[in-house]
Amino acid sequence: MKSFIELKSVKKTYIVGEQRFNALDGIDLSINQGEFVVILGPSGAGKSTLLNLLGGMDKATSGDIYIGENNIAKYNDKELTRYRANDVGFIFQFYNIMPTLTVDENVNLIKDVTNTSKDSKEVLKSVGLIKHVDKFPQELSGGEQQRVSIARAIMKNPKVLLCDEPTGALDSKTGVEVLKLLREQSDNDTTVIIVTHNALIADIADRVIRIKNGKVESNEINKHPKNIDEVKW
Amino acid sequence: MLKRKMFRDIRKNLSQFITIFLMIMIGVMAFAGIKAYMGGMQKTANKFYSENNLQDLNVIGLLNHDDLELIKKLNNVKDAELKLSITATTDNDKTLLLNAIESNNISEFYVYDGEKFDNKSGVWLDYFYSQENNIKVGDTILVKYESMELHEKVRGLINVPDHLYDVRDESELYPDRKEFGFAYISVNEITEDYIKSLVMKEAGVKDEKVFDMAMPDFNYKEYIPYNSIMVDVDNKDNITNVKETIEDTVENTKAIIKIEDTSSYVAYQGEIDEGKTYVGVFSGIFLFIAMLSVITTMTRVVKNQRVQIGTLKALGFSNNRILFHYIGYGFWISVFASIVGLILGYYLIGNVFISLEMKFFEIPNGVPLMDPSSYFVALIVTLIVGVITYITGRSILKENPAETLRTKIPSIKGNVLNITKKAFFKKLSFSTKWNIRDILRNKMRTFMGLAGVVGCCTLIVCALGMLDSMNFFVKLQFEDLYNFDYKLTLKDNLSDNELKVLHDKYGEYTSESLGIEIKDADGNRESNNILVTDAGNYLRFVDRKNKTIDKPTDDGVFVTYKLAETKGYKKGDKITWHIYGDSKYYTSEIIGFNKDPQNQNVTMTRNYLESLGIEYKPDSLYTNIELSNIKEIKNVETIQDIDNLKDGMSQMLSMMKTMLVMIITIAILLGGIIIYNLGILSYTEKQYQFSTLKVLGFKDKQIENIFIKQNNWVAIISIIFGLPMGFYLTDWLFKTAIEEHYDFGAFITTRTYILSAIGTFIVSLLVSKFLARKIKKIDMVTSLKGNE
Repeated sequence: MKSFIELKSVKKTYIVGEQRFNALDGIDLSINQGEFVVILGPSGAGKSTLLNLLGGMDKATSGDIYIGENNIAKYNDKELTRYRANDVGFIFQFYNIMPTLTVDENVNLIKDVTNTSKDSKEVLKSVGLIKHVDKFPQELSGGEQQRVSIARAIMKNPKVLLCDEPTGALDSKTGVEVLKLLREQSDNDTTVIIVTHNALIADIADRVIRIKNGKVESNEINKHPKNIDEVKW
Repeated sequence: MLKRKMFRDIRKNLSQFITIFLMIMIGVMAFAGIKAYMGGMQKTANKFYSENNLQDLNVIGLLNHDDLELIKKLNNVKDAELKLSITATTDNDKTLLLNAIESNNISEFYVYDGEKFDNKSGVWLDYFYSQENNIKVGDTILVKYESMELHEKVRGLINVPDHLYDVRDESELYPDRKEFGFAYISVNEITEDYIKSLVMKEAGVKDEKVFDMAMPDFNYKEYIPYNSIMVDVDNKDNITNVKETIEDTVENTKAIIKIEDTSSYVAYQGEIDEGKTYVGVFSGIFLFIAMLSVITTMTRVVKNQRVQIGTLKALGFSNNRILFHYIGYGFWISVFASIVGLILGYYLIGNVFISLEMKFFEIPNGVPLMDPSSYFVALIVTLIVGVITYITGRSILKENPAETLRTKIPSIKGNVLNITKKAFFKKLSFSTKWNIRDILRNKMRTFMGLAGVVGCCTLIVCALGMLDSMNFFVKLQFEDLYNFDYKLTLKDNLSDNELKVLHDKYGEYTSESLGIEIKDADGNRESNNILVTDAGNYLRFVDRKNKTIDKPTDDGVFVTYKLAETKGYKKGDKITWHIYGDSKYYTSEIIGFNKDPQNQNVTMTRNYLESLGIEYKPDSLYTNIELSNIKEIKNVETIQDIDNLKDGMSQMLSMMKTMLVMIITIAILLGGIIIYNLGILSYTEKQYQFSTLKVLGFKDKQIENIFIKQNNWVAIISIIFGLPMGFYLTDWLFKTAIEEHYDFGAFITTRTYILSAIGTFIVSLLVSKFLARKIKKIDMVTSLKGNE
């Protein structure tokens, strides 16, 4: 059976002056639909670059990136915009929510880019923010802001949820709550990919991919993922 | 190393620093340029007046050598010269104000080409007139006056300090140098035959033989009817004393006019006074707008360096060192921009304006003058930029390094934004809400943007509005008030018969202008004139609102509104006046007011004048009879076609247009730079939000619309404020800056408002569109990382 996400010989080369630097150096990867994936690796290994390519925020220098049947590596800018609007949800370490919009408005923002969005009330309820709908981001804690970011991401009912250090700016208790929310998404058949330094998160993943120097060092299925509450931070 | 950092930072933020540079440069350039222009006008005139010995007083009357000697002997009189001025014509029907003199030590010629005055034959000709008519030194011209015809060789092309501005009569607003000029000859050129004919006419003798027998020793030079003596006083403080002494001792004196009250002097000085107001207003607005924007930008530039300031602090740099480093950013840019502004102001604006004026006024060697206040303004600008940088830097330095190292989330007062959660705000589109809140969060930046665009719009309305207003007054003057096709200026002292001949041919509609002095309750006297009308419907009158009113009735006088306002006259008040040359005073009741855009004077009817026992001697005749092919009429000094008068005005307008085009260009340039600059600030601050939107799947076009929307709002609000402000500025300028004898107000057409609004909006939109192109180039990865 073909995997939901497949990367074939993906290269990303940056040219700085006369120097060429391969952030990704011919990566091959397969990820199934609905998997909860953790990508680990030291700084500069190429984790974020990989995430950016998967999210259509950047273009690969060479290789193919299949999301379902579509090779997004061959997409032009317009197709990538449509892909980002309909198929991908992003969650950032520093939330990147609009400071001048309320919680409700930040989530409903998605309606401006896609017609397949969910009901915002339901989404906000699911992330536990229903009481804060009229608040501005700066009136919320870090964990709550990250929940807004998650709500916004899942609002569009994405096929893939890409998370760049989603708990990096949070304390452990809040981090656990955020991870639980993300896990719920994968349980609902959304493929969740988390890029992190935090190796402990690997214990709860269905699949753990380790990257080093732009190459896949290992790609393992975690046969017995731990319950999030079991993880010791 | 910090210097290197400064240069690299500047290079990195090049567009912002270029706009700071341009704004300071344009602000200083506008200020220094207009100052250099005004200063240059004054300096050029002072130099000309003093080097060529402009007289202090003009004594008017029928004067002779005895009067001259009497004046010369008076205390404090340095020198005096007789002059006979007559309005002559040339063989090709041009008009020349011909002056016959004995010597030329007062109001000495500035000779462009040819020789100095030497009391020998020949004519010294108005330089501008000679250029317009292609007359050169060595050519011979024919000058005619009554029975006298003089064939004179041109010996010099000249400027004279009391002829900077000459118009044929007060109905002309702009000198027509092709048709009218001045000329000087030696008094020896006045022919004996002509003087003899004058004396014979005066004595009522018709036969020359009888005359010769009666006056065998007739020396015609003793009978030359000099009509003025130019008096040079040793010290300015003594002018009034000398004036009063001459009034008391020289019986032939009709009037004594201080040089400051003569039309040439007043016209030139009025131009400088007008300019002084422009200096204050235009350059002030330019500088103010530029500084507002520079301050905003510098504050933002320093604030954006927050993390770097924290890093420098963490590395152990002292606060002062860091402060000086940042002050350096604005300081060097300001110094450099100010120097360029000063130089461009002097050479570009100063020179351009002075050379325009030198086409209008006959004055040699016009050069701009760098005013010391321009250096002062440049210094102040540099200091302000330095102080602003210092204050911003210090506020960041007050925090501890750990705090500074964290990116500061813009402070926000929840309750400010709370209103936008309410009611109809909820129904607004995302981009509208987003923009409203962005404005509320960045009030200062928005205010600066508004101020810049309002200023730009105001200046455009004002510049175009000045043209509208002038056009309106041309129409008022030459279509509404003047209802004739031709004005004939009659020669002096026409007999009843001579007048009848003219009346029979050209109609009976005439007027007389009388030079008077009005005495106030304290006994102070002030020159003015009375227009005595017997011109029927050919001279009309309007009220304050430019509506036609009836001429005054035969029991009192009209005064113009502006004169009434200046003097505090009310209807029913009485004014006491006497005619120059006649010491008898009359008292007249003010029975109404009229508006006159050009002259602030008194008007009465012929019947009223005669009821006071004063003889009516018309000096102008108005007619609609076709005279376009008539070059000369007996007993008529000049024939003026209303269309020529209008053309003269159009020339003045075209000169004004050049200046206004310059103002509009600077306004648009400044407005564009400010919008660009604030747009760049706003874009930089929103860049990460825009990249987030891009990541979320927003199309470039959608994001561009969000960005442009806010700038469009700013432009529209600015236009709403700018249009009326443009009107008030124009009105104020016309009421305060313009010479005292004019009564103009703003009259701005709808077309101007529409053009200004569209112009301002287009400038704003183009700049926004230009900036919005950056959105396409946003690199999501880099800008999101940058935000972290």
